[in-house]
Amino acid sequence: MDKMRRFAILPIAMLVLAACQSADSGDPSSPPTTEESTAASTEESISPSMEESEPAASEAAGGAICESDPGDGYLARVCEAGVLLVSTDPAYPPQSSLNESTGDFEGFDIAVATEIADRLGVEVQFETPTFDAVVAGSWSERWDVSVGSVTVTEDRKAVLDFTEPYYFTPAQLAANAESGITDMEGLAGATICVGEATTYLDWIEGSLTLPAEAGDVADPPEGATSTTLPTDLDCAESWRSGRSDFDGWLSSITTVQATIDEEYPVVAVGDPVFFEPLAVAFDKSVEDNDSLVEAVDGIVAEMHEDGTLTAMSEEWYGGEDLTTQE
Amino acid sequence: MTTGLGSEAAKIQPEILRRIGASQAAAHTRNRIVYVVVWGLLAIGFIGAMVLAGDVDPTFFIESGPVIVLQGAPITIFVCVVSIVLATILAIFGALGRLSTNSAINAVAGFYVSLIRGTPLLVQIFFIYFALPQAGIILDAIPAGIIALSLNYGAYMTEIFRAGIQAVPRGQAEAAQALGMPERLLFRRIVLPQAVRIVTPAIANDFIAMLKDSALISTIGVRETLFLGQRIGRTAFEPIAALLIVALVYWGLTILFSYFQEKLERRMARGDR
Repeated sequence: MDKMRRFAILPIAMLVLAACQSADSGDPSSPPTTEESTAASTEESISPSMEESEPAASEAAGGAICESDPGDGYLARVCEAGVLLVSTDPAYPPQSSLNESTGDFEGFDIAVATEIADRLGVEVQFETPTFDAVVAGSWSERWDVSVGSVTVTEDRKAVLDFTEPYYFTPAQLAANAESGITDMEGLAGATICVGEATTYLDWIEGSLTLPAEAGDVADPPEGATSTTLPTDLDCAESWRSGRSDFDGWLSSITTVQATIDEEYPVVAVGDPVFFEPLAVAFDKSVEDNDSLVEAVDGIVAEMHEDGTLTAMSEEWYGGEDLTTQE
Repeated sequence: MTTGLGSEAAKIQPEILRRIGASQAAAHTRNRIVYVVVWGLLAIGFIGAMVLAGDVDPTFFIESGPVIVLQGAPITIFVCVVSIVLATILAIFGALGRLSTNSAINAVAGFYVSLIRGTPLLVQIFFIYFALPQAGIILDAIPAGIIALSLNYGAYMTEIFRAGIQAVPRGQAEAAQALGMPERLLFRRIVLPQAVRIVTPAIANDFIAMLKDSALISTIGVRETLFLGQRIGRTAFEPIAALLIVALVYWGLTILFSYFQEKLERRMARGDR
C-alpha cells in the first residue's frame, strides 16, 4: 500500500507532461511542437486572400515535386513530413503580418511561401522567430526555410543558403517631417534609425556587402550614425508618438510609403540608396539541404516565369511589380 | 425585580443590536459603493486618457480586440497553468533537497536555487531556446517557454516550500514518529499536506505574477497575448491601441485570478477555525 502510493506520483507527473504535449499540438494558434500538429495548423496558416490565386498557379506548375521522386536529404524529409515549416515574423506589413480581425497570416511573403509549399506538394506552416534569430543561422531544423524578405548579402552567405531573389526592394531614406530635412545633405551628421540586424544598419555602418548583381550602392550621408529599434516600423512609430532623438530613418520604400499613406510625420528623402535582392533563405549548417535549396530555387524561377510573383507583388504592393530589378 | 429588568433588557437589547447591525451594514454598503465608484472612475479615466493621448482609433478595439483576447489569452493561460504545475513539482523536490541532511543533495538544490534566482528570466528563456540546441536539445518555442518559466518559478517556490515545511509544528512529526511511522510516509502524510496548506496562497500569488512574466516568451516567438498585440498593432498602424488591449488582457486576467485566490484563502481560513 505504502509502496503503491509512492509510485502513484510518477503516473501523475507523466500525465501532466502528456497533457502539456497534447494541448501543445492541438492548439491551432500556437507554434507546433512536432510534425503531428500539421493537421491542426494548416487551416489557420492559409489566409483566404491567397486561396484565390492558388488554382491558376498550381495549374501552371504541373505536378508537385514531392509526388515525383524527392530523392533523399532535406527535401525528402520535408516531403515525408508533408509540411514545410516557414519562418516569418508577422511584424512587417505588407510582407508579413497578422490580419487585424482574424489573426491569420497574410502578406506578400506569406503568399509566396504558401505557393512554394503548394508546388512542393506539402502544407505550409508558419513559425515566428524574430528576424535576428533567422539571419543568425543555426536553426536546428525548428523551421525549414525563411520566406521573410531576407536580403542576400555576402556576410549572410556564410551561414545561410539563398535561392535566386524573388523580389527586389529599393532602400529608401526618410526623415521626420518635423525636422525640416528634405534632402540627402540634410541627413549629414544625423542619427538614422534602422531595424535590428537589418541590411540598413550594415549600410550606415559601412559593412554592407551585396552581391555584384545587386547593382550600385550609394554612400551613406557623411557623419551619419545609426540607432536601432526592434523593427523598422518602430522608428516611424517613435516619431508619431512625439520622440525626436533621431532625424533619419532607412527602410524599404514600401514600408516608408506605407507610413506616409497612414499620415505618419514621415517624408521620403532622395532617391533609393540601394536595391536589395530578397531571397528565400536556408540554414547552411544543415549539411544535406542541397536538394531542398535546389527544388525551391527551381520553384522561384518558375514563379518568375509564369507571372505568379508579378501578380502577387501587384496584389500586395499597390499594383507595383517589384519582382524585377529596375 | 431581576426578572422585570431582565425582560426589559431582553426587549431593548435585540432592538439596539439590530439597529447597530443595520447601520453597520448600511455603512459597509456605502463604503463598498464609494470604493467601486472611485475605482471605476479611475479605470475609465485612465483608459480614456490613454486612448486620447495615444491618438487611438476606437474602431480598432472592436475589430482587433477580440482576436488579441481570444487567441492570445488562451495561450497565456495554458502556458502559465502548465508551468505552475511543473514549478510546484520542482519546488517540492527543491525544498526536500534544501532540507536534506545529505550534503551532496543539499548542494544540488542550493546550486539550482542560486543559479536561477541569480540570472534574469529573459536570459534563461534565451538560453533554453537558443543555446540548448548546441547541446542537441532542440525545443520549440512553447515547450522552451514552459520549461523556462517552470525552472524559474520552481526556484523561487523552492524557498516558499522550504519555509512551508519548516512552518509545520515539530510536534506533528514527533507524534507520527512516536507512532512508528516511517520517515517518508511521515513526510507525505503528515508534513506535506500541512505544508501545502500553508504555501497555497503563495503559490496562487506566484501564478498571478507568472501571468505577467509569461509575456517575456513573446521574444522567442510564442504567439501569446503580447506577441499578437504587437504584430496586429503594427499591421493596423495602431501599436498604442494594441498595447492598451494587451495591458487590459493581463490586468483582467490578474483581477480574475485574484478573485479566485481570495476565495481560496477564505475557504482555507475557514478550515483553520
